[in-house]
Amino acid sequence: MKKIPMRTLLFRVGAVLLLAVIAYSMTIIGRGHTVYMDSKRLDYNGQTYETPYKVVVYVNDEQVAKLYDKERGMSTWIGQNFSMTLEITQKKGGTEETQEVSLTLPRNMDGIILNLPALLAGLPEDAYLSEFVSAPEEEEKTGDEGITDEFGLTTTEELPAE
Amino acid sequence: MNMKPKKTGGGSFVEQLQNNSVPIMFILICAVCIPISGFSPGYLVNEIMTRLGRNAFLILCLMFPIMAGMGLNFAMTLGAMAAEIALIFTADWQIWGIPGIVLAMILSIPISVLLGAFCGQILNRAKGREMITSYMIAFFMDGLYQLLVLFMMGPVIPILHSSLRLPRGYGIRNTVSLLHMRQSLDNLGAIHIGGVKIPVLTLVVIAIFCLFIVWFRKTKLGQDMRAVGQNMDVARDAGIKVERTRIIAIVMSTVFAGLGMVIYLQNMGNISTYSSHKQIGMFCIAALLVGGASVDKASIGNVFLGVILFHTMFIVAPATGAKITGDSMIGEYFRVFASYGVITVALIMYETKKRMAKGKIGQRLQLAQSEEESR
Repeated sequence: MKKIPMRTLLFRVGAVLLLAVIAYSMTIIGRGHTVYMDSKRLDYNGQTYETPYKVVVYVNDEQVAKLYDKERGMSTWIGQNFSMTLEITQKKGGTEETQEVSLTLPRNMDGIILNLPALLAGLPEDAYLSEFVSAPEEEEKTGDEGITDEFGLTTTEELPAE
Repeated sequence: MNMKPKKTGGGSFVEQLQNNSVPIMFILICAVCIPISGFSPGYLVNEIMTRLGRNAFLILCLMFPIMAGMGLNFAMTLGAMAAEIALIFTADWQIWGIPGIVLAMILSIPISVLLGAFCGQILNRAKGREMITSYMIAFFMDGLYQLLVLFMMGPVIPILHSSLRLPRGYGIRNTVSLLHMRQSLDNLGAIHIGGVKIPVLTLVVIAIFCLFIVWFRKTKLGQDMRAVGQNMDVARDAGIKVERTRIIAIVMSTVFAGLGMVIYLQNMGNISTYSSHKQIGMFCIAALLVGGASVDKASIGNVFLGVILFHTMFIVAPATGAKITGDSMIGEYFRVFASYGVITVALIMYETKKRMAKGKIGQRLQLAQSEEESR
């Protein structure tokens, strides 16, 4: 077997390492999150935090939600450093107050719920941030489990239940 | 002095017509279908531009095996499968946007290299029958792909999100959404001219790949590939490792097919898990042939002409069919017929030319022999 020259070997190992580093960095900077903003009254440590009359949420200069009491907005975000602009109207007919909010999103969570009253009151992370867990899906009988053949037809055979 | 053989006009008018019969036929089809379809020029150009960005990279990957004399690589499907597997992981790990595309491309590389090396080894044992062998390898590997995706993803290979898994708990759903990755590459730096969206970054990536191919042809490995493509025995006598060169050609084709498939699927915005890869080889090969390439000769120009002509036909055929017969399915049938038909025609033409060339050599030999005998 022909011996590979050291320079070639180093170049190859270096290329593989470089690709691995790029791939790993992509998993960090490209981590996507769905952020849900809740305008919901919160009881924390015996104290109640009321919702403002209206909160308009801007993410990347784009309005993603206009929230009144007990309403939820949603936005998607890539990366960990989340920032949004909130236009808060405390009372009906009152003046708007703009607030910039920046926070670090946990990497292990896909869906993140932010409680806006808690966030605006400056409470700790465990008060304003929680994980969004979607309700378990009901088994669909849409034939999605079927395999399409080369003509694009789907088999209708039922798969054995687990 | 460096003497280069001067390129002449390339034979008589009839010969030129014969050599370019497929592109001419498609130009005529398009010329007839476009006015009947009733599509506006803006719409057509926009659609063609989208398809150019989506398909050109994939078609360019067919150049390497042609360079090495291995014909049309039907096993580029293997690269497409690698890309799909990589994209499933990327979707499961929730890596979105451009980073998701880059990650999928990187993840597809080792899978493509393995599959390509395997395919190359087999094709080395089937010299002269590479195309049919690669076609069968694509079918055979599709079975393995289904085993992996339908049964191993979930219980063996962890898939975190139930939205990707089948309701039974394992295996991947028929459609995997790439919504958060959709057209990320195309939209970055895209410009709109007269209502036509030009995906600048995608076109830049394609242009870089074209430049790479041009550069690669001039390298030692590129020259070796061309030498192997022209005559394996002569290349072997010249000290070129024929088998190794052929494997490299297939590996390169498979890897770039994987990268191309990522570009293709990010444009589509979803993966048809069990069917996306199946037709891709066929349509890419058909497009290349429509562009005037043959089994043993292809250029970058053929790729772009092929994409434009083939996809123009794809866009206008259903509408034309609907206008003429009242049934758009006629157009669908026609485009399927045309895409498979063009491959058949190209293969027949290749064989005919080969036989004619052999016949001419035989005639010359016979003539020389009879002249010698008469002396």
